[in-house]
Amino acid sequence: MIDGLSIAVEDIRFTYPGGVEAIQGVTLSVSPGEAVAIVGENGAGKTTLVRQFNGLLKPTSGRVLVGEWDTREHSVATLARRVGYAFQNPDEQLFERTVRAEVAFGPKNLGFSSEDILASVHEALERVGLADAADQHPYDLPLSQRRLLALAATLAMQTPIVILDEPTTGQDAPSVARIGGIVDSLRQEGRTVITITHDLDFCAEHFPRVMVMASGRVLVDGPAREVLAQSDTLAEAEVDPPQLVRLARSLKLTNMPLTPEEFVTAWQRSRGE
Amino acid sequence: MTIPFSLYAGRESGLHPVHPLTRLTIAGFVLIAALLIPWTLGTYALFAGLLLPLAAWRRVAGLLLRAVFRFVFPFALSLFLIQGLFWTGGTPVVSLGPLSLKAEGLAFAAAMSGRILLIVSSFLLLAMTTRPDALMLALVQKGLPDQIAYIVLTTMQIVPRFQAKANTILDAQRSRGLETEGSLLRRIRGLLPLAIPLVLGSIVDIEERAIALEARAFSRQGEKTSLVDLPDSTFQRAFRWMLLGLTVALTVARLVSVLR
Amino acid sequence: MISVHNLSYKYPGYSRLVLNDISLEVQRGEFVGIVGPNGAGKSSLCYALAGFIPHFYCGSLKGTVEVAGKIIADTTLGELAGSVGMVVQNPFNQITGARFTVLEEVAFGLENLGIPRDQIVPRVEETLALVGLQGFEERSPFALSGGQQQRLAIASVIAMRPDVLILDEPTSQLDPVGTRDVFAALHSLTQTGMTTVVLVEHKLEWIASFATRVIAMVDAKILADGNPLEVLVDPHIQEVGVGATRYTQAARLAQRRGLIPQDRALPVTLKDTQRFFEEPSHD
Ligand SMILES: Nc1ncnc2c1ncn2[C@@H]1O[C@H](COP(=O)(O)OP(=O)(O)OP(=O)(O)O)[C@@H](O)[C@H]1O
Ligand SMILES: Nc1ncnc2c1ncn2[C@@H]1O[C@H](COP(=O)(O)OP(=O)(O)O)[C@@H](O)[C@H]1O
Ligand SMILES: [Mg+2]
Ligand SMILES: [Mg+2]
Repeated sequence: MIDGLSIAVEDIRFTYPGGVEAIQGVTLSVSPGEAVAIVGENGAGKTTLVRQFNGLLKPTSGRVLVGEWDTREHSVATLARRVGYAFQNPDEQLFERTVRAEVAFGPKNLGFSSEDILASVHEALERVGLADAADQHPYDLPLSQRRLLALAATLAMQTPIVILDEPTTGQDAPSVARIGGIVDSLRQEGRTVITITHDLDFCAEHFPRVMVMASGRVLVDGPAREVLAQSDTLAEAEVDPPQLVRLARSLKLTNMPLTPEEFVTAWQRSRGE
Repeated sequence: MTIPFSLYAGRESGLHPVHPLTRLTIAGFVLIAALLIPWTLGTYALFAGLLLPLAAWRRVAGLLLRAVFRFVFPFALSLFLIQGLFWTGGTPVVSLGPLSLKAEGLAFAAAMSGRILLIVSSFLLLAMTTRPDALMLALVQKGLPDQIAYIVLTTMQIVPRFQAKANTILDAQRSRGLETEGSLLRRIRGLLPLAIPLVLGSIVDIEERAIALEARAFSRQGEKTSLVDLPDSTFQRAFRWMLLGLTVALTVARLVSVLR
Repeated sequence: MISVHNLSYKYPGYSRLVLNDISLEVQRGEFVGIVGPNGAGKSSLCYALAGFIPHFYCGSLKGTVEVAGKIIADTTLGELAGSVGMVVQNPFNQITGARFTVLEEVAFGLENLGIPRDQIVPRVEETLALVGLQGFEERSPFALSGGQQQRLAIASVIAMRPDVLILDEPTSQLDPVGTRDVFAALHSLTQTGMTTVVLVEHKLEWIASFATRVIAMVDAKILADGNPLEVLVDPHIQEVGVGATRYTQAARLAQRRGLIPQDRALPVTLKDTQRFFEEPSHD
């Protein structure tokens, strides 16, 4: 188990140099070991928010604490010991000449011993299914695999907090399942996982806590089952509830199923009554 | 809206009444005049009598004066000091112990400064009041190949895109624990691993951008249109010819006087 | 509208066929969804239809591709541009850099097509509204979120109103309502009978709801081609990496548990599934 760290966001605002106020007053906290999904419309400020967690962006006002560290007082490189962040655009993240070197870059900087580097590179590549591609050039991989590579490079740093910005984008069903498995195993290791996603079905199946954002604010934040049932709030954030929630509602079930098993059980029960 | 690498101040409300080519011609005329006018006072007069009023009309006078103060003034000052102090021979005007400012040196500095003032501010005025794409469009309408206009415009964006790219790579490296903040040495160390991805990444970018361009019918043959209208008038055309004539006349007059 | 005969293709310097003997006919006004696992060759097929293969990516090409009455191999990209439009997969590199604002970026394609000036702005505005980008006209295209950049890429191509629209995972970064809106907009374009749409997607629910036909690709080949409601419930297709909607998964589970008769056809969309579960079972 990894010693957990909490994240505390205290009434932050953020304005881009061009004058767009992308975060307009957000307060939240994430406890160690939580798995949180952030959903919401395009341009809601999701990416802008998570970039505050590893210090890439510093709040214009308010503050962000990672453990006891105020992000304004620590460099991004220092914060990288605590927070790993896989970018929304993998091409912004990859710069090494081989897949292996790309994944080793983080552990090396964090001062891992050479055995630990080898081990964590190996483990991360196995996890995302790129072990066979270790000697290839990152740019020779198709986009979907570059995204997995960026994920591996983040995992290899073994940080207590992991942030994934739209990890399932452009992935086929087996890869989405694989990424879901990675999220689950990170949770089991006691690491905090914060994931931005537009895939509400993926969100329902792997994240106990869901945060909905729109126009630079958090509209609602709570247990997945409660949040995903609030279709009005979701609609305000241009989000449709997960397929099974929509199905349950159209069949007038009272339970909010998050997985096919839960749905079938709920449906069976409703019929039995 | 901000346009990278352009000084365009974006103060135009509605259509600019003056065609970009007219503005280009004015700038060209002033530039030639700066090089050819033999009287020092003339250069300053042209600045105060032509460029400043034009700038005031387009509401960039303050901006222009500030830029002149920042770029031309320090240069002029050093010119006055160096030429004034170190002019060999000449008539001392002010003496300070062993040092003295010579009249001839000062006159030379004044003439040089005037020319530089004109050259710099005619360029600044053009840049501040003219969107580069409007200027390119005007030139394309006069027969400049489309590709050249595109190259000029994207080149203006390449440097800031390159900077942005370098920043994202720096961000990626910092996010994975490479210390790039702080001492100069650290920053340089951070820049080294940046060079390769910058170039490689740009090659991929260029390839994909070429596809994007093709997808927008960039290489289509035949008549193209443009979003912006650049109104021109017979008066402006006549004015441009007149300025051109004046420029030629000035050049000839100067040549004749030099040859005599 | 599209006619592909025995198309095979290898990228230059690679020995692997990424398109292996593909044949395909698409009529005007069809909305064709292409599904398949990563690496199946979906994007490569799109490139071949839009002419980027062979005009941009050389490589070895066999067979013929004809789109909108033009033999692709004999037509330059410039000539194709008005009739075939393509939104490529990676939304981050589709900004041309030729213009400075969102409005101008969308207008750029129209200028190149020689559309009269007075029609450009209304068309651009209309298209920006279609993809939910109204209000962003004066923004720099580079100062947009990922999803907004993707909306811009879609708008830039749709605005040109090509006869054949090819879109490679155009909604990968879009929020759920944005995704539905884009599918609905494409659907209504095909309803006019003028536009033909070929779209690669992993979002099976919307393929099933809007596409008139689906093609499943695996390993450089077409594995199935037909009605979405039939192809997408085929267990064989699902297992090769196409996956299944949660609706289909739940329905299959209910059948497996013996709660619903085995002979009832599996559903793909919300409506089907509702019917699937509401229909009384006589057991
Ligand atoms: N570099 C930038 N400069 C200026 N404004 C920006 C920049 N990047 C994003 N924005 C703006 O900030 C707001 C929030 O953007 P952000 O990228 O955080 O959105 P997001 O929720 O991650 O959206 P998406 O789902 O599309 O990725 C948007 O209005 C966007 O247009
Ligand atoms: N530019 C390219 N050069 C070489 N190989 C490529 C290129 N683009 C794609 N490929 C390869 O072609 C195959 C099919 O890829 P692609 O058409 O992108 O599939 P899909 O879109 O279904 O994921 C993959 O093996 C991929 O690695
Ligand atoms: Mg984002
Ligand atoms: Mg693809």
